[in-house]
Amino acid sequence: MDILWFGVFAVLVLGYFALEGFDIGLGMLLPFLGRTREGRDRIVAAMAPFVLANEVWLVAVAGVLFGAYPRAEGEVLFGLYPLVVALLVSWILRDAGLWFRRRLDGRAWRTGWDCIICLGSYGLAFGWGAALVALASGMSITPLGLAGGVAVAAALAFHGWTFVSWRLPGRVTGARRGGRALLASACVAAAPAAALLAGAAPWILDHTAPADTLNVLSIMILPLAPIMLAGQVWVWRAFGPGRAPERTLSFF
Amino acid sequence: MDVLDLARLQFAVTGSLHFLFVVLTLGLAPLVAIMQTLWTFRGNPVHERMTRFWGQIYVINYALGIMTGLVMEFQFGLSWSGLSHYAGDVFGAPLAIETLGAFFLESTFLGLWIFGWHRLPPKLHLACIWIVTLTAYASAFWIMAANAFLQNPAGAVERGGHLELVDFGAMLTNPMLVFALPHVIGAALLTGGCVVMGASAYHLFRRTAEREFFTKSLRLGVVVAAIGAMVAVGFGFAQFGPVGEFQPGKFDGGAPLVMAGFGFMILIGELLQLFIAFFLLPVIYWLPRWRWVHPIVMLITPLPFVAAILGWLAREVGRQPWLIYGKLTVADAMSPGLTSGTITLSLVAFTAVLGLLAVVDYLLIARTVRRGPAAATLGVPSGPGGPAPERATALSL
Repeated sequence: MDILWFGVFAVLVLGYFALEGFDIGLGMLLPFLGRTREGRDRIVAAMAPFVLANEVWLVAVAGVLFGAYPRAEGEVLFGLYPLVVALLVSWILRDAGLWFRRRLDGRAWRTGWDCIICLGSYGLAFGWGAALVALASGMSITPLGLAGGVAVAAALAFHGWTFVSWRLPGRVTGARRGGRALLASACVAAAPAAALLAGAAPWILDHTAPADTLNVLSIMILPLAPIMLAGQVWVWRAFGPGRAPERTLSFF
Repeated sequence: MDVLDLARLQFAVTGSLHFLFVVLTLGLAPLVAIMQTLWTFRGNPVHERMTRFWGQIYVINYALGIMTGLVMEFQFGLSWSGLSHYAGDVFGAPLAIETLGAFFLESTFLGLWIFGWHRLPPKLHLACIWIVTLTAYASAFWIMAANAFLQNPAGAVERGGHLELVDFGAMLTNPMLVFALPHVIGAALLTGGCVVMGASAYHLFRRTAEREFFTKSLRLGVVVAAIGAMVAVGFGFAQFGPVGEFQPGKFDGGAPLVMAGFGFMILIGELLQLFIAFFLLPVIYWLPRWRWVHPIVMLITPLPFVAAILGWLAREVGRQPWLIYGKLTVADAMSPGLTSGTITLSLVAFTAVLGLLAVVDYLLIARTVRRGPAAATLGVPSGPGGPAPERATALSL
């Protein structure tokens, strides 16, 4: 049971970086790939149908942390206090940019929120880099975190670039990428977290909740796993490239 | 203010903001789902327009529900690590089940619903909004189960300095849950109904072009608000038993904030019940034409929100100084080593960002209401009468 829940936890963490990674990456590249408002609209519309299904993986990570590793939860979140606050604020601002950018028609309104999407995405990428470095070095936040931020930002930007070249081949980056290239860039995006998880596995397993708690979690959650998976697959089937052209205005 | 006060203030501010948006999400979701069901099976275009207009308001409101909810989820670890240390083996379970078994599905299927207009087959698209609604209510169940555990730690025993889960069934049938959950759901339906009523009354009063649209909406709003008011008030009084048993003296002249919150919540709840269930509901047939009532209907729109916050203040402040009643105090649960500098910084950051976004969100909702169904952009079909040329770029994917 311990191993099973560690597996769930690892899949959720890696899934978050592999999926939400391209949203963060595209947010960072927004001013470079979309120099005009129309260009930015196209990029945001390309990732929009995936965002809600992607960011929720991190909410699930936090849930499993609380449910299956409660003593690690307090230690990790409190240990990284300033980084967690920075990540949350960045995440909220990025989301606000996405939800609000099309709610008014003014040019300044949309450009302003596009700036906030971009800043929030940089905050997320650098925050994650610093957080991963801090976790690897025993919860000490050091200047080395900045190097981690640069590395994670580069990985996520590459993933975002690959995603948009896959979803809108030749339309935004000029390049065309297939599903295999997207899978490879997802692995790149998830690699730093995978390295950390591998190193921290004994520590995480050591903090596992008692068997009674894990049994309850298993009974309540595992039967729903097929529906969760089906929803995710459906998103990719419905909004992947080569589907019927858009017949509605993108909401984000 | 000391560190503990600041940490409590942060939780109170973010929790109150969260619930302001969540209560409307829970209230509007079933309404939107019902509208779309009517449209799917009866094919009346007015129901499609209602789904898109009220759906857009629902979705704009939803944005802040997510953003405030993120802070809520992570705040436990930031400020209250003593809670997860002492009771995480028990309290963590409902939260984990909520995030994985409810919110994960809600968010995924909401994305499919928002972006799946005219793309998914109509019946599957309808299924999405019903899954979103059901999982939203499942979320409410698990969050209330977690909160009820804090009010009365049923199903757990203390072993070796921390709580262990021994009886999950007792946790789910906690007397502090079984009456409080319907109370909250009733309050949510009352809120959703009042918002639909208030916005409809605005358009009917102004005599805008959308007469049929807002006549139907007003009537649906009144029915749902009346049901919500009856349920909320009924299960409000039903809670006196368990509260008296498990938290004796909670509402007997303790903290002024508790008394004021409790008293005014009851006052607002009963007034709304009286007005909606015993006046608006019987005259529902004539109501769309009775222009003199419309300003009153508009004016009561904020009241369910106020009552909801007052109710939470009474429930939560009334439990002080306990975080887990009789087991763990708030002071003992605070993260050891939390300094007033860090908590002040995060309090200012969260309050400023979320407060500002909340104001923007309400202004956007008000604007959506004012501009009416013709300007709703959610699921607007392309083609003749579809999006204006300015908007065509987004279609050229």
